[in-house]
Amino acid sequence: MESSQVRSASCGGKAGEMVHEFIKTESGGNSFTALLELPANQAMELLVYSSEIVSPKTCYHYPKPPIFPSDIDRASKFSVFSAGNSPETSSFPSNSSSKSEFVKQEPIDSESNPNSSPAFSNPEVNQKTTKRKEHQKKGNESSKKSKKSGNDTSEKLPYVHVRARRGQATDSHSLAERARREKINARMKLLQDLVPGCNKISGTAVVLDEIINHVQSLQRQVEVLSMRLAAVNPRVDFNLDSLFAAESGSAADSNFPGIVSPSIWPEGQNRNQYQQLLHIDGFNQPVWVREDDNSSSFITPQNSLLIYDSSANSAALHQNHMKMEL
Amino acid sequence: MSSSSTISNPDANSNRTRESKRKKRRKIEVEPQNTNLDQSKWRTDTEQQIYSSKLLQALRQVRRSNDSPSRAIRETADRVLAVTAKGRSRWSRAILTGRLSLRLSQINKKHKRAKLNSGNNIKSRKPVVKKRLPALQRKVRVLGRLVPGCQKLPFPNLLEETTDYISALEMQIRAMTFLTGLLSAGGTADQLG
Repeated sequence: MESSQVRSASCGGKAGEMVHEFIKTESGGNSFTALLELPANQAMELLVYSSEIVSPKTCYHYPKPPIFPSDIDRASKFSVFSAGNSPETSSFPSNSSSKSEFVKQEPIDSESNPNSSPAFSNPEVNQKTTKRKEHQKKGNESSKKSKKSGNDTSEKLPYVHVRARRGQATDSHSLAERARREKINARMKLLQDLVPGCNKISGTAVVLDEIINHVQSLQRQVEVLSMRLAAVNPRVDFNLDSLFAAESGSAADSNFPGIVSPSIWPEGQNRNQYQQLLHIDGFNQPVWVREDDNSSSFITPQNSLLIYDSSANSAALHQNHMKMEL
Repeated sequence: MSSSSTISNPDANSNRTRESKRKKRRKIEVEPQNTNLDQSKWRTDTEQQIYSSKLLQALRQVRRSNDSPSRAIRETADRVLAVTAKGRSRWSRAILTGRLSLRLSQINKKHKRAKLNSGNNIKSRKPVVKKRLPALQRKVRVLGRLVPGCQKLPFPNLLEETTDYISALEMQIRAMTFLTGLLSAGGTADQLG
């Protein structure tokens, strides 16, 4: 793998190869990630060993024992992902962090996603999937790009570099603020998708206006509909009662399903009444009329009310046929 | 027989669940913040079917209030909607529990305002400069009043509730439109046939 190759180049052939081999046997995957999956002392031994073997000048990056991510604040770990370029925003649990580190992209990925595929191969993908801070200023992106490329070369080092993102306060308050704004923006996006005609509008106030108007219009529609339903309502009991009166007849006739169309009359009819209740595709007046004609209906009350498949049509027709033939 | 019992029982059950929900929700004030209100479920057909069936049952039980039957039906529809929401969202809980308490609180507010006004007549004559909240916050307040039970909710939660509420309302409208057409056409067919 790239990282292991680079490391072996920088840290001297032997040590690097040993590390490389060891880790390959261990995890068979990303070597550096695997290194940090090891318990701290084992990895320490490895690195210390390698540092002993390696001449100082080539591997002067190992002066101290490497700081393992477990020692580091989780927030600072997550903040690594901000080095990525993806403008995606998602909510981020605000944590304190003095500076962000860039080196530990892959090991942190492994820590946070221990079962995922090697993080190093897809740093960006993992960055997108895990929580990250948003990048406020676009001007930062270019600077971050350069930093990211710098990161790639420095990722091989186990030494932790901690750096502040350019132009962004790493104050805990601003982090919290940013997280809060993330949440709000995400939810506003959902709302914008929901409310028609809000996609093009930018600016919270106008979008809020639209949302309010939409909710009000929906509520007014409900009012109108309830008025209409109230007008119809006196007849509700009548319709339902006449259908329910036919129950006793329907029980016997419901043996038709096997013949006609099992889709409409499920086996466990009484049990599944409410799930199979409505096959509402559209409103078909003729079907309704036909059902009323057959008052000794072969359709159970719930089904009768609200089955409007075209198959319901054909089923009713079939049933008529059957009855007539009998 | 058996089917009729299954018809009537769920109706009673739904009433009972409503009652129990009301009582439960009054006791349980602190609830875990559920962050996942998936509003795509409101668009599914099954939800609409469930809602329609429950609405039908409830409509049969509606007490005909002579002054405004549409209001009664509207409230029934809202209650059934809240039941269908299974109480996962704040507005649904507020609908189920809040009709009474909301009215009480409104009456209390009126009483308070009446007291204040009676005491401060002199002051009210002077031009009182109202503190204009920033426009955004005013709108947030308006939205909070629209969605039931979300008046003093922090903004992101309010947004979440609003998305759920909008989806639910749309489903309610679809279901009620369908039912109205169904029942009205069925009624006319009866008259004809």
